[in-house]
Amino acid sequence: MFSRRTPLAWKNLTHDWRKLAAATAGIAFAVLLMFTQVGFQNALFDSQVKVIDDLQGDIFLVSRAKYTLAAEKRFSISRVHQARSCMGVSGAYPVYSELTTSVLREMTQGKGNRGYPIRSLGFFLDDPIFKSPEIQRQVNRLRAPGTALFDRKSKAKRFDFPKKDDLSLARQALELSGKKVSLVGTFSLGTDFAHDGNLIMSSENFAKFFPHRKRFGDPLSIVDIGIVHLRDGFEIGEVKNMLTKTLEKDVHILTREEFRAVEIKFWDKSTPIGTIFLAGKLIGFIVGMVICYQVIFSDIADHMPEFATLKAMGYPTRYFIRLIIVEALLLSLVGFVPGAIASRVLYGWLSGQTGLLMSMTVSGVAFVYASTVVMCVASGMLAVRKLLAADPATLF
Amino acid sequence: MTSQTTIPATSGAFAEGMHLPKTVKVENLNHFFGQGELRKQALYTNNLEVRRGEIVIMTGPSGSGKTTLLTLIGSLRSVQEGSLRVLGNELCGADRDLIVQLRREMGFIFQAHNLFESLTAYQNVNMAAELVGLDPMITEGRIKSLLTRLGLADRIHYKPNSLSGGQKQRVAIARGLVHKPKLILADEPTAALDEKSGREVVTLFQELARDEGCTIIMVTHDNRILDVADRIVNMVDGRIKSDVAVQETSVICEFLKGFPLFSDLSPTTLAEIADQMMVHEAVAGDEVIRQGDAGDLFYLIRSGSVDVLIDDGQQRKKVAELKQGQYFGEAALITDEPRNATVVAKEKSVFYALDKEEFQAVLATSATFEEELRQALFNRQ
Repeated sequence: MFSRRTPLAWKNLTHDWRKLAAATAGIAFAVLLMFTQVGFQNALFDSQVKVIDDLQGDIFLVSRAKYTLAAEKRFSISRVHQARSCMGVSGAYPVYSELTTSVLREMTQGKGNRGYPIRSLGFFLDDPIFKSPEIQRQVNRLRAPGTALFDRKSKAKRFDFPKKDDLSLARQALELSGKKVSLVGTFSLGTDFAHDGNLIMSSENFAKFFPHRKRFGDPLSIVDIGIVHLRDGFEIGEVKNMLTKTLEKDVHILTREEFRAVEIKFWDKSTPIGTIFLAGKLIGFIVGMVICYQVIFSDIADHMPEFATLKAMGYPTRYFIRLIIVEALLLSLVGFVPGAIASRVLYGWLSGQTGLLMSMTVSGVAFVYASTVVMCVASGMLAVRKLLAADPATLF
Repeated sequence: MTSQTTIPATSGAFAEGMHLPKTVKVENLNHFFGQGELRKQALYTNNLEVRRGEIVIMTGPSGSGKTTLLTLIGSLRSVQEGSLRVLGNELCGADRDLIVQLRREMGFIFQAHNLFESLTAYQNVNMAAELVGLDPMITEGRIKSLLTRLGLADRIHYKPNSLSGGQKQRVAIARGLVHKPKLILADEPTAALDEKSGREVVTLFQELARDEGCTIIMVTHDNRILDVADRIVNMVDGRIKSDVAVQETSVICEFLKGFPLFSDLSPTTLAEIADQMMVHEAVAGDEVIRQGDAGDLFYLIRSGSVDVLIDDGQQRKKVAELKQGQYFGEAALITDEPRNATVVAKEKSVFYALDKEEFQAVLATSATFEEELRQALFNRQ
């Protein structure tokens, strides 16, 4: 019975293709605005945690005081050793990171520019730390003293070195933390809000470049990130519990997802970034709402006598409310699809332009579609008051 | 004595079908527009009864309140004062659910077609059909036959912007009729139509009224369709000036024509006389007039029968028996003498009575009538 009903909402919407095209374009534009914001936000958050994504391992240890990757809070290497002895752990490895004192200066004719901080990551060359086969391939180059791999995606404005050709890169006269460094190869990681570039080196070289890391004693005895590999056949939750019981409480024990989430949460909630993107999304939402209201309102205003006739026939109020909700949902769908397609194209282009990783995630699409639906239905409900005011007594 | 009523003879209250249920019953209905200082009365104590299956045409100058009355009957406005019963429901103080329910039993035909541009003729009509939950299979046949009937067979799946004004109006009429409403309210339904399709529409109305007991109230100035009216209601300045049952009036005129004095009168004059007559009722044994009284009324027997008795001083003698369509009491009015006989109702009877003043006023205003009268009196000699 219901399926045989005249699809009035659909018919009214699609009757005039010019109006429909304008409405679609308007809503698609709002969708595009929201997608752009969501895309940038995700891309930026993704780049914040890119280093986590590039690390091997199942469970990560960080200092309890470390609220973000860029915070230089460390913990004792003995935690890593303790973790190694835990049941279900096949290996535990330290990763060292230095930012504030890791200043890379370009030396020309004996004089240096003022130099810029770059993140230096140090690891024991035999440990399985990085996923990237590119890095693994170049591990042996790092065995020489004073060597490091350079992140091609480092900010070119600050670290403008020849990246195409390893030889000319190696010829660059550079000082890291006041000591001569030679870049023996490149890898790809990318920048984020806190880091303008990256270097990777052996822990031995790391200790030489940054001996002051620890006031007294071995600079390698304090660790930035501990990486734990699971033994086959063990549950991650089980091992995590074990580690929690075994290790002192000065470290956080996090799965990969938790590690990512903590880092993203910091940037989202503790910095203005989340608010900025929220404002951007809100603007898209409001633009969409205004457009959607206009479309629905003018549709109602153009058909007042017809709607009044339906009222005279005995159509109840709830019919009209349902009609407008259906119309709003159709509008949201009709506007969303082209908006999403346009956004996909824009993502591709922006990725190429900025080097940011713009990808359409399921959650991003779901978020934007839900916003679109809310936007259309809410503006429909604002406009429906006009329809409910249609007075059949004026028809005679 | 008879009981005199204030019911005009032409109202049809005592005509055939008087027992039929009343689709619309308006009692002491007042309506106002505006608030406070600007409050203006649009309807003044209106009374109207429309029975099942009647076709009522409402006429009157614009601003006379006929449209207001129509919207009130259609439950499109809320009743402020008085009583308005439509299809057995009191509309004064009715709640929304009742009104929505009631509207589905009515068919509205507006002056403007108000069709959705986005829907085909068929779909527009179907909007009315699916609301009342008719079987879709039956609906389809009904919509097609209605549209075919209205000359739109080859336009069923056209959208309004490829239809002419008259065609759109006919689609709107089909929409008003498709759900077999018990009451149709129409505002100038034939204004946009040519002679032939206008005739088709009113013929359709007549069939609905006759076959399905559908009641039709329409406002129209189209005198080509006056012939379908069972009742013509004329409104002036918010008041029902006349409410005439066409059939009954013609019956009265026929009766009046049977009276030699009136036999040569024009239909217009006869209708005017009929308009002045009031209903009187009597039960068996009632003396309608008494010999020797002053003559004040002229009677026409609408139903029942009477005995005419003459008292010659010693005894009452029955001189005649009169039945439906016959009249009495004229002699005293013409000769200005006391009643020359007594008339007693034999059974429950209804009379249409014409006042002496009215009787004479008709004589005075109608030169031809006086001429005829002289002729008649002369012929009596």
